[in-house]
Amino acid sequence: MPMYGDLGNKLVQHAKRTQNLSHLPPYQTELVRAVAREIRDLDKDVASLLEPFQGSFDPSAEQATACTLLVNHLSMRRNKRCLLAYHRIRTDKLEELVWNGADILDLAGQTTGGPKGVTEGNEGGGTTSSLSPQEEDYFRQFGDLLALYKGQWTDIDLTGSLEPPRDLFIDVRVLKDAGEIQTEYGAINLTKNSQFYVRQGDVERLIVQGYLQKLG
Amino acid sequence: MSYYDIDAILTDAEKIPCTFQIDVPDLGYLDNQPGHTLKSGSRVALPIWLAEMLAIANTGTIDMDDPSQSSKSFITFDLPPALGNDVVQALKADPRSVPLRDQSAHFYALATHMMELSEEPELSAVLRKTFVSRAAEIALHARKVGGAGGKGKGKATKDDNASNLGVGGAGEDFLRGLDEWERKLFRCAHDGTKASKEWMENVKKR
Amino acid sequence: MALPLPPGLTQNEVAFLAEMEMVTVVPRQRLDSIDLLGGKTPQLRPPHRAQLPLWLALLLKKQRRANIVPPAWMHPASLAEIIHRETKEDPEAFSPPPPPPSRALYSQPGTARRLNPSYVDDFTQTQQNSQQDPNSILSPPFLPSNVAESPAGYLPYHWLEVAEALLTHAGDDMPAPAGEVRSLLRDLVEVRAAKMRSSTSALEGFGDAYLTLRGVGAMELAENRAFLAGLVDGVRKIGASAEATRREEEEEARRGGDYGGDGDEDSDEDMGL
Repeated sequence: MPMYGDLGNKLVQHAKRTQNLSHLPPYQTELVRAVAREIRDLDKDVASLLEPFQGSFDPSAEQATACTLLVNHLSMRRNKRCLLAYHRIRTDKLEELVWNGADILDLAGQTTGGPKGVTEGNEGGGTTSSLSPQEEDYFRQFGDLLALYKGQWTDIDLTGSLEPPRDLFIDVRVLKDAGEIQTEYGAINLTKNSQFYVRQGDVERLIVQGYLQKLG
Repeated sequence: MSYYDIDAILTDAEKIPCTFQIDVPDLGYLDNQPGHTLKSGSRVALPIWLAEMLAIANTGTIDMDDPSQSSKSFITFDLPPALGNDVVQALKADPRSVPLRDQSAHFYALATHMMELSEEPELSAVLRKTFVSRAAEIALHARKVGGAGGKGKGKATKDDNASNLGVGGAGEDFLRGLDEWERKLFRCAHDGTKASKEWMENVKKR
Repeated sequence: MALPLPPGLTQNEVAFLAEMEMVTVVPRQRLDSIDLLGGKTPQLRPPHRAQLPLWLALLLKKQRRANIVPPAWMHPASLAEIIHRETKEDPEAFSPPPPPPSRALYSQPGTARRLNPSYVDDFTQTQQNSQQDPNSILSPPFLPSNVAESPAGYLPYHWLEVAEALLTHAGDDMPAPAGEVRSLLRDLVEVRAAKMRSSTSALEGFGDAYLTLRGVGAMELAENRAFLAGLVDGVRKIGASAEATRREEEEEARRGGDYGGDGDEDSDEDMGL
């Protein structure tokens, strides 16, 4: 027999699974709607329970009604907590993805939990996004915010690698054409399959984005 | 314990045995009888998020001088079977042999929550011993698994950051019986060992 | 949220910091002083020994421009002694960290005292010392514990990191076959890891149970920090309600004389008004 709060619980179990995943599973549109509907239904029940009292309800005189009201109230409160926690886990994840330099297209093109970055040739088709429209908005705007914040520093890449450096200079191979980049030691033209000995800090971003591969 | 803490929310969904102290016409559905009155004395298992407040709240004034005159709580509650005498005795006998997860995935969180609601000094002592002695066992298994991860595959990087506790052999049953707190401990110990292993292998590449 | 690293230093960070440890080298070529952020390096003139940070020593070693003199504690006899102490003499505790350096004054031969004022218990002695040598404020990593003269029989804070680096990149500079040193080191790692696990049993009983981490190295801390912190936190949560009750009782016992028996809480509120 389903009980108030059961649907909310399902949502939180989704959130629990999401915590352990590296990607973001599809947004549970239906479940979220159902929980919100449950809250509205409960609110209606409360209103109709209170209606006969015309605003002068005395809990000690009407213990049974008071108990029902409390159960309804607690169920609404519980559902609210589940909804908020579910969305918070997802926005945390979105922020993490932005910090890691994920692309909105990678996320939007993602079907159910495929690995990141396999979206080429998939564009234009009727792909189902794992993000809700509001989440896509959040992702974009948070990305802009982070870019704005990062822009204050020209010498430090806030989203750079957190590993302590091993060598200042590294060998890299170019996997995809990346055009010309400017370094302290002059311009380098990164054409596919060529190899360079470069300063790690200059190319870190390109390695993360998959243009270059670190050798050795 | 934060409002947004997923594990706290799931712990609050654990059910505990409750007894209603008054008749409530509209709540029959809690006892699988929608449309019927929930009678005083009915025993119903309710999630903590509901039971806790129903037990604390009552409808009238509190008479400090004579508690029997105070108006009743809506419900009274007992410890859930997961924390019952059978389990406690089994833990006293051999903490490592009890699959806590079968009792509750949030065993310790449930227990600490219940101990906040009612004093259980004996339970507290047993659980402390249980937690600490099982932790030593957890550390042992984690070291084996975390250490082996780097050795066999050379580059064990992204395969086991999820909650999979894929271990074979004797420890498998023990690890399957870990509750959420213990799983977290296992992950901490496992990740620590693994990172050391990776560092050790990297020294040579320098 | 944005920082995906756990609290405390990671193994790679610890290993990076360990490269600031000073080690002793025997140069094979002359090298002028280098002006580094941390100060000037000494001029290298073979065959005079000099102290350099580990990272620089490793670089020169790779370029065959210097040999590294391993610290005394890495000698097989020293490692065997430490293993003996850890297993036989005191199977519970980790062996103590190296003692602070001490030296006798020329004016008072035979009365060695600690060089490092921060370690000195006696305040007056501190003052004397700091007057004599205002520059002797030493703490790791400026307290050299991996140079050739560092005492044998004690594991410094960065023991594992320094040992691994030296064994891997300067194995031929070891006082014994590198394999022998390495296998002693492995034994030590295992003994101490087992000790770390069993040390947790101190938390089983009530009372002032705590974990002693004296003598535990930086790398060992990095490896076990999350687990131990999780363990202690769990114990704290399990005991929280009992602890709260105990405190309340203490509180009541303390106030027992002032107020008559029951209704304490109420009188408390009255007082507030």
